[in-house]
Amino acid sequence: MSENPNNYYIKPELMACCGAREIRDHDVVIVGTGFPAMSANIAKHTHSPNAILMQESGVVDARPMRPALSVGDPCLNPGSAMAGCLIDVMGMFLQAGWVDVGFLSGSQVDKFGNINTTCIGDYHHPKSRLPGSGGANPIGTLAKKTLIIALHDHRRLAEKVDFITTPGYIDGPGARDGWGFPPNTGPECIITNKAVLRFDKSTGQAYLASYHPGSTVEEILSLTPWHLKVADDVFETLPPTPEELRVIREVLDPHRMIRIYEGRGYV
Amino acid sequence: MTKVMTTREAVSKFVADGDMVYIGGYICRPPFAAVHEIIRQRKKDLTVVRSNAADDFDMMIGAGVVSRFIGTFLSLGVYGLGRCYRRSMEKGVPHKIDIEEYTNLSLPLMLMAGSLGMSFVPVNDMKGSDLLNVSSFMGDGKYKIIDSPFDGRPTVLVPALRPDVAIIHVQQADETGNAQIWGIGGDCKAGANAAKKVIVSCERIVDRDVIGKDPSRTIVPSFKVAAVVEEPFGAHPGYTPGFYDVDFSLGFLYQQASNTVEGFEAFLEEWVYGVADRGAYIAHYIDRFGYAAYQKLMAAFDYSYPVSYAY
Repeated sequence: MSENPNNYYIKPELMACCGAREIRDHDVVIVGTGFPAMSANIAKHTHSPNAILMQESGVVDARPMRPALSVGDPCLNPGSAMAGCLIDVMGMFLQAGWVDVGFLSGSQVDKFGNINTTCIGDYHHPKSRLPGSGGANPIGTLAKKTLIIALHDHRRLAEKVDFITTPGYIDGPGARDGWGFPPNTGPECIITNKAVLRFDKSTGQAYLASYHPGSTVEEILSLTPWHLKVADDVFETLPPTPEELRVIREVLDPHRMIRIYEGRGYV
Repeated sequence: MTKVMTTREAVSKFVADGDMVYIGGYICRPPFAAVHEIIRQRKKDLTVVRSNAADDFDMMIGAGVVSRFIGTFLSLGVYGLGRCYRRSMEKGVPHKIDIEEYTNLSLPLMLMAGSLGMSFVPVNDMKGSDLLNVSSFMGDGKYKIIDSPFDGRPTVLVPALRPDVAIIHVQQADETGNAQIWGIGGDCKAGANAAKKVIVSCERIVDRDVIGKDPSRTIVPSFKVAAVVEEPFGAHPGYTPGFYDVDFSLGFLYQQASNTVEGFEAFLEEWVYGVADRGAYIAHYIDRFGYAAYQKLMAAFDYSYPVSYAY
């Protein structure tokens, strides 16, 4: 593929485009860094020019001159519409119901879309202590839809996460309603380096919606640690369009920082 | 009345062993000079508080000054997991800290509740998650759950926090403590106002008249402030909007050093114990990396339009 630069893309670019395609014009989107920020910005520069992006640290509608490396990155300040605080974004906007889309990634994600970013192994005697919730729990609880980014293997995907840091559909249909979550909220999809999984709202479980070019349904089933249902109309994920690639490479990330995700296994 | 003093005096006078200490900033405006001073004075048994903790908290945990952490998150950002934090939680090195975990919605609101003189605040997160199934030193007091008396929905109540002392780094303050910030706020305003007293570290001390030219920027008024310290470059390796950028190279150095206990100890020796104060720290930075590297971090000026409060 590499002989033809117009068609060549790396997996993180495809994943970022998958995220972008979930965003609608005028959506209010909470982004972090990396993929989420890239996805949301691709959307903003293509089909969703009126989307409003915000970071939990308090920034609304930032216009960074380089990709932000954290939600507190200095490049988010100049040019933003608002440099407020955590309570503004997490409270006044998210908890009050104004946020349409939240992006999350997880060290471990299960079939109900529950996410673990707290610990691997027992909580009190962790094999691996991870960062914790930060803004993830309230975003997964309160954003109208949540997009989840994960690596597709038996370590990152799990039948059941070791610790529910951020609830997806918890243990099945009705669980979110039982806790009094805002109606019609929850994970929309899991975007992996192999596929896009979507959720059957009647079971609360993820199913295979599309496989990325180069992957097969069989490969994806073997990489998924639970019995993954396959959509009747499963299809090959649409590769990045020339316009999406132009935005990524010329506007958003001319130094190709997105390549670091290849080193993290997103291939 | 002037409250201006050195960081050494402020930390020695107003941070006691066993205190609950709120420390502001997340990459943006962390009061790093004061954090180093806390370590240098070998404070003990602190309970540290902030949403989204980073290298400053990791360093205090590694240095052994922390016993308890009320938080939501701790990582080194682009440099991954907090090494000292992991060693503490996984191996008990230098000791295992007790941790109460909340979220970036609930914890800032707990500080806000403290600032408002309330005893708790209702929140709509954490439900259905394992955050409600674990607690440590706060025990049953970590949260309560009720059906809202107004709409009947399950609602989580979390306790107000009243730290003994808050330490924040701001762009400017006057000598009585009126403190002004611009840029990303994090949970700084709630944290400072929740505390019983505040140490204000600032890039520059300005005249009271300068504060009065743009009073909407003030996040904490003088009467809550115990100490004012002028500490230029005081947030480094974090940044202060309008003054200097994040120093990713020092962040990387810290990550590499903190991979091992020995490396971390050597880092503390070089950058904390081995320098008397922030002035000596800056001198060492320039010695080690050159004046050009220091100068490269300095912000370009791109002034906003002046505003007028005249009537």
